[in-house]
Parts: sequence; C-alpha cells; structure tokens
Amino acid sequence: MKQWRIPALAIGAAVAVTLAGCGSSGGSTAGGTTLTFFGADYGTGPANSTAKYWKAIAAAFHQANPGITVSVQTVDWTDFPDKVQTLVQNKQFPDILEGDTAPQFAQSHLLYPDSAVLSPAVLHNLLPTFLKDGRYQGTDYGIPFTTSTRALYYNKKIFAAAHLSSPPATWAQLRSDAAAIKAKGYIGYGMPLGSEEAQAEALLWFLGNGGGYLNAAGKYAINSPQNVQALEFMSQLVKAGDTQPSPGSTDRKDIWASFAQGRVGMMLGSPAVIPIIQAAGVLKPADYGTADVPGRTGPLTSTLGVHDDIVAFSTGGHQAAIRKFLDFAYSDAFQLQFDREYDLLPATQSAAAVLGRDPMFAAFLKNIPDSVNYPSAANWTTVENQIKTTLGQAVTGSPQGILNAIQHTATSGG
Amino acid sequence: MAEITARAAEVTTAVTAAGAARAGPAGPGRARRARRRLAPLAWLGPAIALIAVVVLWPIVTLAQTSMQDITPIGVTIGSAGANNFRQLLDDPNLPGILVRTLVWVAAVVGLTMLASLGLAQLFNQRFPGRRVARWALIAPWAASVMMTALIFRWMLQPDNGVINVFLHQLGIVRQFDSNTSSWLGRPDSAMAWMIGVAVFVSLPFTSYTLLAGLQAIPGELFEAARMDGASRWRAYRSITLPLLRPAFAVAMVINLMNVFNSFPIIWEMTRGGPGYETNTTTVFMYNLKQSYLGEAAAMSVINFGLIIIIVLAYLRVSRAARTEAG
Repeated sequence: MKQWRIPALAIGAAVAVTLAGCGSSGGSTAGGTTLTFFGADYGTGPANSTAKYWKAIAAAFHQANPGITVSVQTVDWTDFPDKVQTLVQNKQFPDILEGDTAPQFAQSHLLYPDSAVLSPAVLHNLLPTFLKDGRYQGTDYGIPFTTSTRALYYNKKIFAAAHLSSPPATWAQLRSDAAAIKAKGYIGYGMPLGSEEAQAEALLWFLGNGGGYLNAAGKYAINSPQNVQALEFMSQLVKAGDTQPSPGSTDRKDIWASFAQGRVGMMLGSPAVIPIIQAAGVLKPADYGTADVPGRTGPLTSTLGVHDDIVAFSTGGHQAAIRKFLDFAYSDAFQLQFDREYDLLPATQSAAAVLGRDPMFAAFLKNIPDSVNYPSAANWTTVENQIKTTLGQAVTGSPQGILNAIQHTATSGG
Repeated sequence: MAEITARAAEVTTAVTAAGAARAGPAGPGRARRARRRLAPLAWLGPAIALIAVVVLWPIVTLAQTSMQDITPIGVTIGSAGANNFRQLLDDPNLPGILVRTLVWVAAVVGLTMLASLGLAQLFNQRFPGRRVARWALIAPWAASVMMTALIFRWMLQPDNGVINVFLHQLGIVRQFDSNTSSWLGRPDSAMAWMIGVAVFVSLPFTSYTLLAGLQAIPGELFEAARMDGASRWRAYRSITLPLLRPAFAVAMVINLMNVFNSFPIIWEMTRGGPGYETNTTTVFMYNLKQSYLGEAAAMSVINFGLIIIIVLAYLRVSRAARTEAG
C-alpha cells in the first residue's frame, strides 16, 4: 500500500490545483453581494500600486454599504491585455473592468449600458469628448475613468546649447532644430515607434498633415496620401540621424527615460512624463517645457486624447450593486487623488475644473475638448496591434506598402 | 507514433502475460482473476490519469481551439473549419519566419555542439582549479534565461550599454545612438546576438552531457592506442568520437527541441521586431495570439507537429546509438 500513496497524493494534488484554477468569480455570499473588480495598474511598483487606490475606495464603500464587498485585482499594463483575454476566454468575467475599450465587449453583448450603472448626475458629469468612443450601435457602454492628452516636451538646456530660442511650430522648424541639437551630441527628436505605443506617435504625425486613422466620413483611411507623406517626412528625419537609431525597436518608455536623463532634445508626451523626470532627478522644472505639437504648417489645433474606460459586465447580474459602487467611486475626491498620484487627467467635468487651477495640468487639460481619439470600431484592437508591430518599419522601408497592409486588415471584416 | 504504439502493445502483452501466469491454472473464481488482472491499474492508474489530464487534455484543447473562430477579446463565435490554417499559410510573413526558424535552430545547435565538444575535452583534463571552473560553467544554466536575455539587452543599449562602451573604446563603434550601436534594431545583427546568447545558455547542459560521456570512456583504450603509436588526433577520431556518440546524440536532440521551443531570449531582446523580422515560429505564435487566437492555435498545432517529428528522430537516433554501444 505504501508505494501507491505517492501517486495518489500526486493525483489528488493535481485535481486540487485544477479545481482551484476553476474557482468561480464573484457571486453572492452569505453576507451579501461580492463584486469583482479587475483593473490595469498604473503604478511603477508595490509602493504606488493602483490596487491600493481601489482597495481604499472599496473599503470606504463597504463601510457605507455593508451588504456589498468589492474584491479588487489589478495587473500591470504589459500583461493586462493577455489577462483580460484569458478571463474572457474562460468566461470568468469580472463585474467591473477598468482599462479596456467598450465596443468589442458590447459587440458580444457582455455589458450594461452606462445609463444602467450610473445615476444621471454622475453620467452627465463625464467629459462628453470621450463618451462617443464607447458607443456601440447608438448606446454608450464605456465610462471614461482617466484621460490624458499629448504635447511637445523640449529640453530648454539643450535648446540653449544649440542656440535655439523657442520650440518648433512647424515640421521644417522641427527638422532644423533636431539637426542643430544632434550636432551638439544629443538625440534631436525622440521618435518611439516600437510596439509599446507606435499608434500614438504615428497619429500625432498624421494629424499634423491633415491625416489620421479615419477620414471625414468616419471610415478607415489609414493609407491616405497625407499619412504616407507624414511617414516619408519621418523617415527623412530618421535617415538624417536626427532621431534615435531604430525607431521601430524603441518603446515610448525608453525615450521618456532618455529625455528624463537629459539626452533628448524634443519628444511628444503626456503629463505622465513629469513623474519620470522628477524620479530621475536630472532635469529641474525650469530645464524643460511643453508646447503644442508641431504640424506641417503650424501647431496642431487638435491633439491626441486617450482615455481608459470602465465597463460593467452584465454577465454577473449585479446591476444595482455596480451602480452603487460606481456612483461612489466617481467622486471628485477619488478622481483627483488618482490624477495627482499618476499625473493623469480626470474624466469628469467637475474634477477637471478643480485640476485646471494647476498650471501644469492646465496646459494638457485645455486640449481635451478638441482632442482626436482612436477609432472606436470593434476591430480597432486588431488594427492597433498590427500598427504596433509593423508601423516602425515604415520609416525604414516602404510607408505605402505597410499602410496598405494595415488598411487591408482594418477594412476586411475581421 | 507507430513505434510508441508498438512499444505500448509490448508492455501491455507483458503485463497481461504476467497477470495470467500468477493467477495460475485452477483459479478460485472468475471475479478474483479479473480483479488480479486489473490490479496493475492501481499502480498505473494515477500515472495514466496524470498524463491524460496534464499532457493529452491540453493537446485536445489546442486542436479544438485551432478550428474555432475566436474574437480578439476571447469570445468564441463558432467553428472556423480549416480557415485558421488557411489564413496562417497565406500570411506573407510565414515563409520568412520558417526559414529564420531553421537558421536559428541549425546555428544555435550547431555552434553549441561544436563549442561543447571543446569545453568537455578541456574540463576532462586535470588542471589546478578544475573544480571551480566546472562550477563556473554551470552559472549560465543556473541563471534564469529571461534575466540573461534582459541583461544582454541592457548591455547592448545603443547609448550606454556596456558592450557598446567597450566597442567604442576599441574604436569599432564610432558614435553612440547611431545605427552601428543599435545592435538589436537591425534584424541581421539582432539575430546574430540572440544566437550568441542562446549558445551561451545552452553550453552548460551540453558540455556536462558530453563530459559524462567522455568520463565513461576507459583510459586503457587510449593507453593501448598510444602503444600502437597512434597520434592524438587519430585517437580522438577513432576512439573518443565513436564512443561519445550516445552522449552526443542525446545532447543534440534535447538541444534541438529546446532551441526550437525557445521563447524568452527573442521575446526579451527584440519582441520579434522590428516588424516580424526576428520572429521564429514559437515567437510568431505568441504574436498572433494578441489578435488572432485561432490562428495562433493553428501555429501551435504546426509547431507541435514539428516537435513530434523531432521526438521521433530522437527515439530512432537513441535506439540506434544504444544498439551500437551495447
């Protein structure tokens, strides 16, 4: 008997592990309702993990509503898409998901509309610019939670060393400034087209030439002549050595870190660059500035605005509890706490009004009303993935061919 | 597969025969005899169940997934038939990736085997500090492959990576942040560096396998050869290499599988980029997964098929070697 105890234990353990892996998500416990919250983590480590932020809200909420418990889980941005994909594939839907876009879930009939899970006062306080992206067949499913816009960052010390007085407003100025900066031994313009966020860098250049991912009719126009021209201009910069080498292999975080180290003259960035600069401790607040994003003939009138949404899954059937929690979580105090922690922008009008009194945030907040957002088509994620992987090669190879391939993916059903 | 089945049949027959022999001619009853016959199941059962759950089930799921239509967020719409395979085979990037996979496996395994032959020979000699040197050889093996790859990526940073700083001092890299210093940004140089890292992490296992083989060769053979006036090179070719063959074959085939399935080095150093220019089929499968789950599963099935071929080759080679050695 002794010998077969070990295999029996092994199989027992294997079964236990398998069963544990299949544990159900959320549900109603004896004490009341448990909501599962799954969110992206905006922190850089355990010290400023976003889980802390949500757990504090959940605890305060539980005190006010003892019948509802919110269990919080966050995961690093890098692993976030994979983790969400796995949860959905295994039908372990959370009740509330923060960080993704709504239409693809709405298409699969998994979500409550905004109006079902927010009271009218909270719903009408959301910034309207970002609501339309979460719209699917006329109904809003995405609840903007945090937002940001882009501007040109420039290093004033490097500009002074290269005898440049003001940041560029046009592409021609940007090119000559970058060349002057490069002559001083710095990277003239940091152009991250690596897989982290190529879609943002590219869109800001497309917008500068009157292009974009969509045409005026709202249809995909990724291989438009304007976009091809923009990439051709970018590849001239690359070939002249005015950028860092291999833009297609450079991620945004690399360039932001290099800028914080004082090695990059110009780059595009969101307010989230500021904590990185502060952490590096090389540049003082007077050493760098922000300006409008340059375009071919002048600064962009509308820049890129991005937003991360909350979506509420209808699969668990906890509509009333979700509504109570979201109404609670969308207070000004919590919105501002999040923005000050991570240097991002709020998603509600009242919080934006408070934050606008800070000049640093005001420079980015003013761009929100006219911001251009990513397409909200249900297949955008697929298109975006292809842009992330392949667009970097457009500045070293053929822009037309690569944009044609992306346009093909965008318009061929999938 | 045929060989495995044949061997399984042999085992079954043997077990049944043993059971029948023990039951004896005048068995006390049919029920008891059946129970005795089933007795081995109590021992084999857990192992069979474990294999079924841990090995076979995932394979079945994989095959099923490869024929399903799944949205990028993971919702299964329905059957896709052979569509995933068709789309995968139509992918313009696939031929390049297959060729690159071949080059990757051949280069890494080839260089590893060659270098390990030399290393094993060296570590088989007596020299002061041999024990320390042998321990040191284990280091790349003991370290996490992911960390090793990450550290190499940092060392190759175009602006201040330590390898670039060194090459700059030698005058090979003239300027930082230039195309020359961006080793991982150019597909050809990125592949070369990654092959180097893969060889580096494969050396310890291979060298130790070959070293064990070398130590198993009796010293008298060399003594006899020396008395017959054989040169060192002649002794190496006629004694060492033939007797090393079993160890060599094992190291070779295990490396083939390992390198074919290798993911962390490429993923950490280039993510398969720029574009798809440094993808192998294993990395490509992961890249596909982001948008095309079904197609990624199809790639997995094909990878699995290739692995089966390698495993069969392994069985054949190891059997041939055993016959020869025995």
